[in-house]
Amino acid sequence: MLCQHCQKNEANMHMKRIINGSATEVHLCSDCARSLGYGDSFSGFGLGFSDLFRDLLGKGERTLSGNALRCSLCGKSFDDIVESGRVGCAECYSTFYDKLLPTLRKIHGKTTHQGKVPSAFENSHKTQQSKVEKLKADLKKAVEKEDFETAAKLRDEINYIVNGGAAK
Amino acid sequence: MSAKWYLGTGVQNDVVISTSIHLVRNLSDFPFPHMLSLQDKLKVNTIIKNATDSLDNYNFNYLEMKTLSQYEVVSLAERHLVSPEFASSRDGRALLITEDEAVSVMLNEEDHIRFQVMYAAFSLDEAYRTANEIDNCLSDKLNFAFDDRIGYLTQDPTIIGTGMKASVVLHLPGLAAAMQIPKLISTVQKLGLTLRGSYGEGAAAKGDMFQLSNSITLGISEKAAIENLKSITLQIAAQERSAREEILKSNVTEDKIFRAYGTLKYARLLDTDEFMDLMSLVRLGAVKGIIKMDTAKIEGMMINMQPATISLSVDRPLDRNGRDALRAKRVREMLEM
Ligand SMILES: [Zn+2]
Ligand SMILES: [Zn+2]
Repeated sequence: MLCQHCQKNEANMHMKRIINGSATEVHLCSDCARSLGYGDSFSGFGLGFSDLFRDLLGKGERTLSGNALRCSLCGKSFDDIVESGRVGCAECYSTFYDKLLPTLRKIHGKTTHQGKVPSAFENSHKTQQSKVEKLKADLKKAVEKEDFETAAKLRDEINYIVNGGAAK
Repeated sequence: MSAKWYLGTGVQNDVVISTSIHLVRNLSDFPFPHMLSLQDKLKVNTIIKNATDSLDNYNFNYLEMKTLSQYEVVSLAERHLVSPEFASSRDGRALLITEDEAVSVMLNEEDHIRFQVMYAAFSLDEAYRTANEIDNCLSDKLNFAFDDRIGYLTQDPTIIGTGMKASVVLHLPGLAAAMQIPKLISTVQKLGLTLRGSYGEGAAAKGDMFQLSNSITLGISEKAAIENLKSITLQIAAQERSAREEILKSNVTEDKIFRAYGTLKYARLLDTDEFMDLMSLVRLGAVKGIIKMDTAKIEGMMINMQPATISLSVDRPLDRNGRDALRAKRVREMLEM
């Protein structure tokens, strides 16, 4: 389907809009959607963002092994997420963390949460952050001393925590 | 019946019409709504509804979307109380809403919980304080999906992190007349914000009403996002004021304002687009003291004269001509008051 504004690009955003008293679907390419200022209160891109997410995910992130791993809560594989352009549940973010991270970086420019932490997570969040800080300092020292064996161990430990090994 | 939120007034009200905070939250034990059966959606609704019972300061009405008529649902979207997406498919969705419509909670839209807090005028701190208080209470009762690394987990990856969108609605007749809006849209994008028409987008933006919100939610705290929005809002408001001075130097604008007022006062048919354009001029005249009119009344009219909302007021579907006639009648009555 072509973008209904420029009639040139493929329409990859399909958004519901209220026009003259009824809900209507609008089909636009992402360039036009952006320049026309489409979006809604909840998301900069607007709902129906899924095509764009799919496009972002599809670029190089899809792997042959993508089907082997499935999310334990919703059952989606990474290919399912790419196919539908939608993450199935919160657990998907842990299961496919490495594969989703580049897309989150493309959208937000950053990948580390700043700001509010729900009270249930406050303690684990703080201890974990300070633990990672300490490990990073140790790692730096080990590298300076050219103690690469210790450095490798520390790096593994940091990756383990950062990638959710010690989370929850 | 308590007074609606938009009847309030406040600072920067000549340019800033309203403020809202939107927060997105999900329950960690359930997949996102598009993966849920109808039965599970209803279960999620009940869990969240029960959690809101602990919010003593807020009296929510609970509405199952499928029990509402098409007009009622579209009217909720016209009044920005639910999203167009929410209005377009009703099964398994529910709304919690306070009497003054300042707080509304969409259940099972694209995420389990999407709620908003609205305030009149420029009130970002107050709106965030209220939203945060509600979030804290809910968070005591519910297990929210959260990850130490990437924050609150959402179906839509554009809002992951804080899950927060802060917005202000701006009235920009001066900048619109100076053809500055397209430039402004691209400028604010570079500053991590989005500007869009509040009633219709792009060339179809009605009434010179625009919504400005933060576009980034990961790697920026709620406070930083709100401070950024605040400072850009104040800059745009200042630009708008000088643009207004510029167009008001000529008596052509003054003439347009009085003509708009005259048309609103005597017209027998008013379609939505014309109504919005005229109201924009009248609002400009009112805040500049050119004509005497209460701005809260103007905001109320803009909200209540939208197509489905006006049909809803007579409880039956009206055709276009019927709507335009009723709108003109209501506007005449309002201006007599
Ligand atoms: Zn296009
Ligand atoms: Zn999943």
